[in-house]
Amino acid sequence: MSSESRASSSGDEASEPNPNPIPKPPEDQLAALALSETDSHANGVVHGSAGENNHNHQEIESDEEEVEANSAAPGLAEVEESREGLPRGSVGGVVWARTNSELEVDGPSSPSSSGYAGERGSSSASSGGSGIDEISEVRNEEVVDGFSDLQASWVPGKRHVDEDDASLSWRKRKKHFFILSNSGKPIYSRHGDEHKLAGFSATLQAIISFVENGGDHVKLVRAGKHQVVFLVKGPIYLVCISCTEEPYESLRMQLELIYGQMLLILTKSVNRCFEKNPKFDMTPLLGGTDIVFSSLIHSFSWNPATFLHAYTCLPLAYATRQAAGAILQDVADSGVLFAILMCKHKVISLVGAQKASLHPDDMLLLSNFVMASESFRTSESFSPICLPRYNPMAFLYAYVHYLDADTYLMLLTTSSDAFYHLKDCRIRIEMVLLKSSVLSEIQRSMIDGGMRVEELPLDPLPRSASFSPHLGQHTLSTDSPDRFREPYIGVGGPAGLWHFIYRSIFLDQYVSSEFSPPISSPRQQKRLYRAYQKLYASMHDRGIGPHKTQFRRDENYVLLCWVTQDFELYAAFDPLADKALAIKTCNRVCQWVKDVENEIFLLGASPFSW
Amino acid sequence: MARTGNKNIQAKLVLLGDMGTGKTSLVLRFVTGKFLEYQESTIGAAFFTQVLSLNEATIKFDIWDTAGQERYHSLAPMYYRGAAAAVVVYDITSMESFVRAKKWVQELQRQANPTLIMFLAGNKADLEEKRKVGFEEGEQYAKENGLVFLETSAKTAQNVNELFYEIAKKLAKASPSRPTGIKLHSRSQQNSRRMFCCS
Repeated sequence: MSSESRASSSGDEASEPNPNPIPKPPEDQLAALALSETDSHANGVVHGSAGENNHNHQEIESDEEEVEANSAAPGLAEVEESREGLPRGSVGGVVWARTNSELEVDGPSSPSSSGYAGERGSSSASSGGSGIDEISEVRNEEVVDGFSDLQASWVPGKRHVDEDDASLSWRKRKKHFFILSNSGKPIYSRHGDEHKLAGFSATLQAIISFVENGGDHVKLVRAGKHQVVFLVKGPIYLVCISCTEEPYESLRMQLELIYGQMLLILTKSVNRCFEKNPKFDMTPLLGGTDIVFSSLIHSFSWNPATFLHAYTCLPLAYATRQAAGAILQDVADSGVLFAILMCKHKVISLVGAQKASLHPDDMLLLSNFVMASESFRTSESFSPICLPRYNPMAFLYAYVHYLDADTYLMLLTTSSDAFYHLKDCRIRIEMVLLKSSVLSEIQRSMIDGGMRVEELPLDPLPRSASFSPHLGQHTLSTDSPDRFREPYIGVGGPAGLWHFIYRSIFLDQYVSSEFSPPISSPRQQKRLYRAYQKLYASMHDRGIGPHKTQFRRDENYVLLCWVTQDFELYAAFDPLADKALAIKTCNRVCQWVKDVENEIFLLGASPFSW
Repeated sequence: MARTGNKNIQAKLVLLGDMGTGKTSLVLRFVTGKFLEYQESTIGAAFFTQVLSLNEATIKFDIWDTAGQERYHSLAPMYYRGAAAAVVVYDITSMESFVRAKKWVQELQRQANPTLIMFLAGNKADLEEKRKVGFEEGEQYAKENGLVFLETSAKTAQNVNELFYEIAKKLAKASPSRPTGIKLHSRSQQNSRRMFCCS
């Protein structure tokens, strides 16, 4: 931590979407179109509606700036409070309220007292830190946390169990997540052993209840580069401590997802345990689920579904997806609530009983749960699960079966007796999928991948020709499978287009282009992901948004975002890309997506209305 | 299913016990003949089928390997309801798991099908040096409660096949010698689940 503080004084200015009115690199200003004010606010607004308290707010920010610049004062924490203007907040009033308590809180909330950030001044020089994955912050770059947890090299399961809040290595982790009870009992910690973190949990609890006793809610504490984000859900407290520079909104959503994951395993009825016994120890109830949480947290750094609130489909020929949908529909008509066929985190098809709708976040949590738990691969399973957005109080029963290494079928029902029926359904589905060669198409699609920026059609072509060779199923037969094994040596697509994500608002689905050079290393991918995440947050900011377009240039990328009623487009270009050309290219991407939407999206297959 | 010759019995078998006692390992040793040093926790319950042929009958096991985690405890009836046989598993290196096993036995005595055939398995018998529950202790408890007792090791395969053979034999003996292939729905109260037990 100390190392970061030192770096911050110089590294700050250049670090890209800067919260404060720090002079931007000149070309950035030139380039800033339409929404330059977004820049100046981008981060500053995270903590709730600014409103008439803007003035106060500014002051706070500059205060903090000072702290960061000096980076000397240890434990100078700033507590930001508000009347919890969040949807689930207890109080309706959204007024940005600052009370005197802030000053007092300063003391106790200073992480130093609990040992978390207290070492800012003294934990001298990251002491070697050889084996520690996520220490050094690179100047002029977004903080990229941990190589060790990049998608490619990610090792499932809990890491660093031997650590606790006294370990230097533990304190240097860039991103901590905690779940604790309102009596301060640890429930989950991303790093380290929960039981050894009892004291630390108690400190977090003390901060939260101190503010709550004042009739307020603590949402965010900033301590230098660290943000401490709080989420209170009845008797359950969730806390994220991060120096990854992700926007507050993103971190809060991540806590919401972690809470959702917990509900998926236990339902909200776990609250009753706390009503009966406030000192209830919840850890045994979550026994064996560390891996589910760590896999979810890992997905915060690679899966766009975690901030887009949309799901993505495996590209498939329209007819193939229809065939899969038809058999699922057949099964759904026989009393199955949801029938979902997925390949890794991508949907092949899904169908719901009439009037039942499935929220994309529930799908994310469900697929994460299934994929993270090795047990589902061993045999067919029948397990209670709860879909928090569907009904947080009740269990559904999930029949889960892997059809091949990556493809799995989930049949959800409300009846605990339905196993044999669901098993029969699965046998029927599997037979149809095999006969209609859907399964082999799925495997081929896995090999072929999705949209590639290199294949962006040059001009608005007269349609119905084959656009992308591999995305038109009809052309597939002539393609040899190894067509895509040839290495791409290019530098992205036309006009310096490197990558894009297109989210259809109506469908609640997104499509993300394949990563190709120069965004080839996991580290670069993660950095781009974080940049998108920031872009998303700034576009959807409730205080200053929503916005329609944003063009942003820094030393890493040109980022272009375009939001309409129908879709959101996020595109990354070479930092030297020409603005006019980039805009033109975005139009072409949108056209391309429309041209192949039959294959990349699940269209009107079911009576969904989310 | 309706083959002539000896009896065909389809029987639901459920494994219960504390987490980490080796239920899944026992089943996998029986069904696949393999053993994994690090077996992931089971979620909910996993379903396996395995056929055992005896001289007198062919038994088709529907095996429910339940998760040992506390959170699934209240859902256990869903899995043992209608079961013809149950194996309660504990870990001989953990007294806690033996205590939990006794609780399972009590629950089954109270709530399960009264003709349920119950086995008590002290697993991890290969870890003799870490033993916390004596053989006699397990045997004694089993005798008092009318259970069949075995010490097993999924790792070395000790007594694993024997366990399932014993169950099969008991089931064959218990099942009435009727013409083949007829399934008894003796107590089809709340469930239409396949079950087979003596009546």
